[in-house]
Amino acid sequence: MTSAPLAPPVPAREAAPPAPGRRPPARRRRERPTGLRISRIVSRVLIAAVLVMQVYPFLWLLQTSLRDREDFAASNPFSIPTHLTLDNFSRAFEQGHLLRSILNSLIITGGACLLLVVCGMAGAYAIAVLGFRFSGLVRGLFLLGIVVPVQVALVPLFIDYSRIGMLDTHLSVMIPLAGFALPMALYLFLSFYSYIPRELYEAATLDGAGPYRIFARITLPMSWNTVVTVVMVNAIFIWNDFVFANTFILSEELKTIPLGLQDYVGAMGNTDWTATFAAVSITVTPLLLVFLVLNRAMIYGLESGASKG
Amino acid sequence: MLPHRSRLSVLVFLAPPLLLFGGGVLLPIVQSLVLSFFEWDGITGLDFVGLENYRALLLHDDVFRTAFGNQLVYLVICLLLQVGGGLLVASLLMTITRGREVLKVLYLMPAVISTPAIALLFQRIYSFEPEGLVNTLLGAVGLDALARPWLSDVSTVLTAVSVPEGWRFLGLYTVILYAALLSVPRELEEAASLDGANAWQVFARIRFPHIMPVFVTTLIMATTYALRGFDIPFLLTNGGPGQASELVTTYMYKTAFTSGHYGSASAISVIIVLECLVAVGLILLVLRRKAD
Repeated sequence: MTSAPLAPPVPAREAAPPAPGRRPPARRRRERPTGLRISRIVSRVLIAAVLVMQVYPFLWLLQTSLRDREDFAASNPFSIPTHLTLDNFSRAFEQGHLLRSILNSLIITGGACLLLVVCGMAGAYAIAVLGFRFSGLVRGLFLLGIVVPVQVALVPLFIDYSRIGMLDTHLSVMIPLAGFALPMALYLFLSFYSYIPRELYEAATLDGAGPYRIFARITLPMSWNTVVTVVMVNAIFIWNDFVFANTFILSEELKTIPLGLQDYVGAMGNTDWTATFAAVSITVTPLLLVFLVLNRAMIYGLESGASKG
Repeated sequence: MLPHRSRLSVLVFLAPPLLLFGGGVLLPIVQSLVLSFFEWDGITGLDFVGLENYRALLLHDDVFRTAFGNQLVYLVICLLLQVGGGLLVASLLMTITRGREVLKVLYLMPAVISTPAIALLFQRIYSFEPEGLVNTLLGAVGLDALARPWLSDVSTVLTAVSVPEGWRFLGLYTVILYAALLSVPRELEEAASLDGANAWQVFARIRFPHIMPVFVTTLIMATTYALRGFDIPFLLTNGGPGQASELVTTYMYKTAFTSGHYGSASAISVIIVLECLVAVGLILLVLRRKAD
């Protein structure tokens, strides 16, 4: 009952866009008929052109992965294929270690997201709900992390990891990935926790609930929507991470998808493009499907992250 | 602030994020700073050299200077495509009434694809033999003379490695700026157009000033991301041919992990942090003052 008015901002925000959609085109058309019609056509053409630019490369990728190897090599690679084949996919699975790298990517993404969500939630709870003397300072310290480039951590972490024998482990990639994503996640949780009314906590305190109980009974159950947003926004970047994995992972068995793809080209000597693109399609498609289904949470996270910053 | 909170409970909740952030981000930053004052090959002992690494980079290292210039070009191209392009596309989306939500999602698609996949894709798009997309298109409009191997031509390679990065996040900035444009009060725009303002005037006088805070944020995001841009140039050309597409970031990576000069590499990474801080400071200084 209490949670109804506090329903996290995702649905509310998403409901907003259609309303302003109604502009007054009729009146404008009367004022400047031809000029406006031309500008409308131009803007639609541009919108379509950008759409082609953003989507076509992906379609081309899929089309190439379904194309016969000889056909691809012989004809213009951008023409429509004459017949489709799934041959490339079986070659992609045979020659690469796709399943293994998918598994590695799942482990690292899952682990890093878990670390990120637990730490983001706990930190935001300590700063925004519990409060302490230097909370402003700690908050500032975390938020500063948003502008820190990841390159600064590569050399020191590489040295530290090799000293303590942590180089070439899943954890060695998860820690910096989660660490560098933490400021943004913390920020999203902080801004969400500021919507939870004080009275709720006060009432719980009067009933004798301590900080742990209040977290478990009030804050945590209300955080799920923010958790989805945080995971969606970060999972994509973590899943696609190249630089940390490329630096800290040395052995074949631990390679993630982005590294696995790299291997592909080397192993196949740049010639088997159709199988390579089949591998690319396999690795891109699951994420793309998740994105197409859950994009609202991600788009919400992106918008709110920037507009409140 | 909860009335009945113990010090211990604050610590329990604060410890995990502080550990993660401290160990994964803060400590490495401090280490980089310290290491940048040493000469170290990773095997023999540390050799304190003071500011020598910085002096050598800034005064005597031609590769670093080239890389720095290249990174600025990379930055400009990314900003034009991402913030400029994003603002344009977001404004265009405001002019249509249907399908905006779908378009937003489709525009974001490239942001979901990993950089090695993008690098593979663009390798084919730019390729000369066999003919890639760019050269095919040039041929189709009768500009065969302009066809070239975009990634091995010294004069085009830097632009060629910058464009994919700009393209990749165009949708991201479009979505953010579009959300901001939607928040501009309708009444203001309508009042302005009733007073005879044209579309450009409505944009320049009403919309843009209103979305200034979000614009500043996107500008900061795009700038700091471009200054740390690494993956695509590293994968496509690894700085080559020669140093034609070498960026500060790829040079840092090579200095550390190919040449093994960890001290010098740390100095470069500190410079990258400083670049980001200076850029953010400049943006805030110039645009905030303008906004006031």
